[in-house]
Order: sequence, then C-alpha cells, then structure tokens
Amino acid sequence: MRDSTAALLEAVRSGVNRIGEISIQSFDSNDCFKLSHHTDASLAALPDHGGLETFEGPSSARQISLFSEDGEYRFLKALRNLKRGWVMILRSCTDLRLALDQFYPAALGMWLSHRDGTLEIENLREKLDRQTGMYRRAKMIHDERAQVLVAATCASGPGCARKILWSISPTQPLIPSPASTCKGHACTVSPESTIPLLCASPCNHFVAECLVAAKQQPATPTTP
Amino acid sequence: MSIAPKPHSALLIVGHGSTQNPDSSTPYFEHAEEIRSRGLFAEVHCCFWKEEPSMRDAIHLIDSDEVYVVPDFISEGYFTQEVIPRELRLTGPTTVRDGKTFHYCLPVGIHPSMTGLLLARAREVAPDVDPSATTLIITGHGTGLNQNSTKAIRDQVEHILKSGAGYAAVCDAYMEEQPFIAEWDKLSPTPNVVVVPFFISDGLHSYQDIPVLLGIEPDVGPAASQREVFRHNPHHLRDKQLFYSSAIGTELHIADVILDQVHDFDQNHKGA
Repeated sequence: MRDSTAALLEAVRSGVNRIGEISIQSFDSNDCFKLSHHTDASLAALPDHGGLETFEGPSSARQISLFSEDGEYRFLKALRNLKRGWVMILRSCTDLRLALDQFYPAALGMWLSHRDGTLEIENLREKLDRQTGMYRRAKMIHDERAQVLVAATCASGPGCARKILWSISPTQPLIPSPASTCKGHACTVSPESTIPLLCASPCNHFVAECLVAAKQQPATPTTP
Repeated sequence: MSIAPKPHSALLIVGHGSTQNPDSSTPYFEHAEEIRSRGLFAEVHCCFWKEEPSMRDAIHLIDSDEVYVVPDFISEGYFTQEVIPRELRLTGPTTVRDGKTFHYCLPVGIHPSMTGLLLARAREVAPDVDPSATTLIITGHGTGLNQNSTKAIRDQVEHILKSGAGYAAVCDAYMEEQPFIAEWDKLSPTPNVVVVPFFISDGLHSYQDIPVLLGIEPDVGPAASQREVFRHNPHHLRDKQLFYSSAIGTELHIADVILDQVHDFDQNHKGA
C-alpha cells in the first residue's frame, strides 16, 4: 500500500518546494510547513508573515482556492489565477497533504503514480467514447476541431497549468501549442523542486466543450 | 446507528458538483470534514462529476486497499446506476481492481434515516408553528426521465406520515411534474406551510427557481442570489404563512446518513 503522506514528506525534505502556484516552506526541523502563493513566499517566510492573512490548518484551503482575485469561480483548480495575500500554517505532513489535495485535487497522487510508471493515460477518443446521456454526442467532434479546442480551451484566460499527457487518439498526437506543450510547472523553477500538475485524461470541462463544438461543426470534417 | 472504526479503509464521497455554482460542492466537503474529524476512516475524500477531483482521478487520492464509495445523491438513477459505476469501474456491490477493493453503497437520499432529518429541518425552519395546523411539502425537481427521483420523495412522504410527527398534511411536489410546487397553496389545507427542498446542495433550483415558483421572489434574478432567500421566514403569501428551508443535503447530519449507508453495506454484503 502506498503511503502518499510519507512520500510527500520525503519529497519536501529532498527539496520540493513548489506545486502549481503554491510555494511550500518547511520550518521547525522540517516537521511544519507554510503554504502561500509563490509570489508571496518572501513575506510568508517572515515571522509575522508580512501582513498576509494567516490560516492555521488545512480546512481553509478550499475557501482560498474557490475564487480568483477578481471573484471568478475556479472550478478548475489548476487555472493560473490562485489568489494572493494568504499564508497557511500546517503542523504536520498529514495536514500538508490534506491542504494540497484541496488546492490541487489528486495532483500529488497522480505525480506519485507517474513517477512509479503506473499512471494510466486516457486519450480523448477513449474518454468521449464512454460518455452517455447528454454528453454522448461529444464523440462526434472531428479530430481537427478537437485539436483547435485543446489550444483554445486549455490555454484560455489564465490558462490551465497541467501538463497534458494524452493525445487525441493512439495515432493522433496533439499538435504543438501553448496548451499542449505546458510542462506542468513554471519554467522559472527546476523540475526537481516541483510537484508537476499532470493531466492524464481530458477533464469533464473539456468534454463539455467538445459537446458544444460537436453541435456547431459541419457534418463532415473540413480538409485542412 | 454507529459504525466500528475502519482504520485501514478509505471513504469516498461522490457528488455532482457544478461549473457554475460554487456552493454546489460545499455540503460534500462539509460532510467529509465532519466524518474525518471522527477518525473512523484512514482517509476521507470527495470526488465529483462536474468538479475536481473527477471520479476517474479519485483513485489517485486513495492509499488504502479498501474503499467505501457512498454516492451523496438523493436518489437512485442515472448517476448512481450508470455514471458512477462507469467512471469508478465498479462491476457490482464489491469490485476488486488495481489492487483495491471497492464497496459501492446506496445513495444517502434513500436511507430511512433521512426521514428524521427532514422532520428536524421542518421543525428548525418553523419552530413555533403547530404541526396540526401545518402542511409539510417535500419538493424536488421531478422529471419524466427518471421515476426514481420522485420515488425517493414519495417514500419520504410515506415515512413522515407514518412517523406520528403530527402534521395536518404531508405531500410531495415538483418543479417540472405534477403535483407542481407552484400550486403549493392549493396542495395545503392549512394556514401554515413548510417547504423543504429534497436536494443535496443549494443551487439555482433552491436559490432561484423554487422561490419564484413559490412566489417569494418575483422573477429569476442574477445568478446565485445565495442564502439570503432562506433568511426571511415566514413569508405571508396567498393568505398563508409559508416557511422555506434550504436544501436538506446541507444538513450536517447527512454525515451520519453517509455512515449509515456504510453500516448497511456491511450488514447486507459482509455480514458484519
């Protein structure tokens, strides 16, 4: 049985200090942790946290990550619009894991599975083919339209910070775009110090966008 | 009902979630936090259809080899019988896959203990009214596509009628099928009426659609007028005194119903 909490502690002790937009700092002999937006990391490191709003324990993680700075509902947690101005104090690695699972749901586990070589990747066709109900028609989307949609949807607005691991189909890789080449971590930090955000399967938001696009497209694909 | 601690098992609470309404998933996280605080399971997690983590990604949250899956849904139907089994790759009450054993429990809304929660919510929203002069209406969406969603409500009405709670009348009513909630005054032979929405989450239906149908709000306003709508009881409308509650799923004791479903699973499938 995997022990994700122990794996996380080992990773942090080995130098991992970042996930998505969040900075992870250790204190008290690496047994306690501070989380903050990475742009607030220097303030969070101060004893008085430099005026950041301080939260004790992981229970506020969902509330902090629920809305962006401009009040937009963040139903996709990897969007690069996490609000600033807070620091979270966590007194155990168990609490650190609970907090990270709310800020970036399942990201830790996906990274550990990817590291172990057990992360199952599901391509878009597999995902769409198993849809039922109102989403059944999403599978009608043409490959060409799906390629455009990846570039448009996954990088729209603040953009999703996940690294896309899937393809359109086994024979149809994603064409290069800012969305399909996202590394899952900021280019300003080293991969060794980061828990990457991975996208192993098209998300349900993308499936919903495929449905909209499928309804709008002409009956036969256009030749590029 | 109480369950024995399961220090080597995980509890996975499955909800619908929303890409529009930030309050939609709040009850699920509150129920998870409540159960987590009791220390009964090694892990307690949530997953969703419309939010993250998805049901398919949920396996990455879980370390334990044994997982109890409880749908935090009000009825059996499309989601509990088709979507959740498909997404979690469940083949029956117990499924062994990827080195884990998944136990698939029944949805919270059909558990008999929901009756007590509905009565408690009705008393809470109208503490000073005499039940013998009051009609209790349990309301839901209603759709010709899924008879099970109305069955869960009709069953609760039957349970309440048999409970001896003393209400002059108890009935079901729906947004989109008969009996219509818009005709709540005609369904109620009493001067007092209590309406409890049979949904897990407060959302557009309980914030906006039902208040408009009741006549509390003149028209559907801007998105998510939030919980203010529940704070102005009683409403004096159509020559009656109307009390309107938030969705039953926002009740913190739903956490106990989740545990009841785990308990019942063990009773029915493991002979515990």
